[in-house]
Amino acid sequence: MAKRNEFPAPTADVTAACSVQGPKHHRRDRIGYIKRNYDLYLLLIPALLYILIFNYLPMAGITIAFKDYNIFGGANPIDAIWKSDWVGLKHFTKLFSSPDFARVFRNTLIISFYRLLFVFPLPILTAIMLNEIINVPFKRTIQTIIYLPHFLSWAVVSGIFLTLLGSTGLVNQFINSLGGETINFLSSKKWFRSVLIVTDAWKEVGWGSIIYLAAITAVDPQLYEAATIDGAGKIRQLVSVTMPAIAPTIIMMLILRVGRILDAGFEQIFVMYHSIVYEVADIIGTYVYREGLGRMNFSYGTAVGLFNSVVALVLVLSSNWLSKRATDKSIW
Amino acid sequence: MKRKTRGEVFFIAFSTVSMILFAIITLLPFMNVIAKSVSSEGAVLTGQVNFWPVGFQLGTFRYVLDTVEFTNGLKVSVIVTIVGTIGAMFLTTTVAYPLSKPTMVGRKFFLLMFVFVMLFSGGMVPNYMLYRSLGLTNTILALIFPGMCSVFNILLVKTFYEDLPESVEESSRIDGASNFRTLISVVIPMSMPVIATVGLFYAVGYWNSYFAGVLYITRPALKPLQQYLYELVQASQVSPDANTITTDMTQYMNTSPESVRAATIFLATAPILAVYPFLQRYFVKGINIGSVKG
Repeated sequence: MAKRNEFPAPTADVTAACSVQGPKHHRRDRIGYIKRNYDLYLLLIPALLYILIFNYLPMAGITIAFKDYNIFGGANPIDAIWKSDWVGLKHFTKLFSSPDFARVFRNTLIISFYRLLFVFPLPILTAIMLNEIINVPFKRTIQTIIYLPHFLSWAVVSGIFLTLLGSTGLVNQFINSLGGETINFLSSKKWFRSVLIVTDAWKEVGWGSIIYLAAITAVDPQLYEAATIDGAGKIRQLVSVTMPAIAPTIIMMLILRVGRILDAGFEQIFVMYHSIVYEVADIIGTYVYREGLGRMNFSYGTAVGLFNSVVALVLVLSSNWLSKRATDKSIW
Repeated sequence: MKRKTRGEVFFIAFSTVSMILFAIITLLPFMNVIAKSVSSEGAVLTGQVNFWPVGFQLGTFRYVLDTVEFTNGLKVSVIVTIVGTIGAMFLTTTVAYPLSKPTMVGRKFFLLMFVFVMLFSGGMVPNYMLYRSLGLTNTILALIFPGMCSVFNILLVKTFYEDLPESVEESSRIDGASNFRTLISVVIPMSMPVIATVGLFYAVGYWNSYFAGVLYITRPALKPLQQYLYELVQASQVSPDANTITTDMTQYMNTSPESVRAATIFLATAPILAVYPFLQRYFVKGINIGSVKG
């Protein structure tokens, strides 16, 4: 027999109050609630178990950042954690004095900054221009096309651009036909970062415009009519109606992007880079991979990863706090 | 209909032309890759192929479809995508329900546990060590477990559940249904739009993932398609004519390593290209559910 749910269904205002303050139950009520709704808690279990094993358990593994870990030092990798010696902040001292780390940290910031400068504004422009297209089927077609690359993997995108930018690729044929020298874009320290930015833009700008387009379409058309009656031209309408309407979205996206500044696009760089361009392309993520797993410096790799995670956490929390203050919007 | 001023006409024309250019720039690389995959070896090597096949041939596709690495990769990717998506949907649709109940005791605590996972992680090395300790490396589970529980997707579904009309669930409760029953027979059937969206996100994520393979899989028979493609691309970056494929190429006349790469790229993308135009609206819906919630 189905168990009767005796807890009164919340009315609208109770729900509203709860979402602000959280339910206030007395101890006995709480136990009663849990007993009556035990199946609600059963539903939590699969996902909870998953994150406990695959997300929280590795956090315990962070301890090896403070040890000299030898993966073969015990019966299994976990046993080896207990058996390895504490070394305090040794790996962090190494990290902060390492010229390699200084280089990857600088690369991370530079590449992230380029993305912010060159890629971030493009979806906004795209949304504004898309909104001007009146013919609906035509607009839909354009949208379908420009959203598409978002759904390709970085392995595919890097393959496509290798074909395009290789020494016999289309771009070099064009350069040659103009009398220029062949440029090896993917192995050139001068060009590699530009390739990262261009491929990132090609893949994500269309998709990124959706959120701004939604904000623009939400603008009351009467505002535009009123502006037209007042004699405002297109540019004026753009500045005085459209921009204020999408400003909160822009600010929110900008702040959140700044919060993720240490993520310079690991999956992209990992497929596209190779040893010739390490000097300009190696970022924190790729460095952790090569040091920690490639060269099996597990402790050092974990220390670099921990530094990255902690700084990223602080950045995201503070940028989200800022976003909340500035625009009343946040990611949660 | 009011007449448009010259400035307006110019602005609309400029926008339209820019967007057409954008669409063309998006499509040209695809056309180049497709043209190269079906052009003759001579035409590809001498750089005659732009956006249209020169010396049309289908031998390259026959060759790729015959290589063991490709067929293995395809098999692994299909299995991982199907099993992974089903598992992920199970985790997501169940956990989102209690989290969507504002009256649930302990809801804030559990919610925080999930959100924290989004913000902080043990990092690549401890993750690798976990998979290794659990004996998951070089098993298909090492491709299925990563990405099986996206907190972003959980929050999407939770938001959708919260916005369902309270009255429907209430009537289910009055009929004496348990929470579990209500979820299965009322909430989930009503949430099909968000379930479709999130299911697509997971499926695309699994299909496109190459890094889990790079981390955990060294056995050739277990490498997913995208990892094979990644290795192909890496090899050709070091030396452009590198051939990592073991299947003998000489029996397939008239094809070059570059065509092989192009054909592999095309085939690895084909499933997405095939379903994308019909399912695009579900993807867009998802992003909008996510952004409306302030």
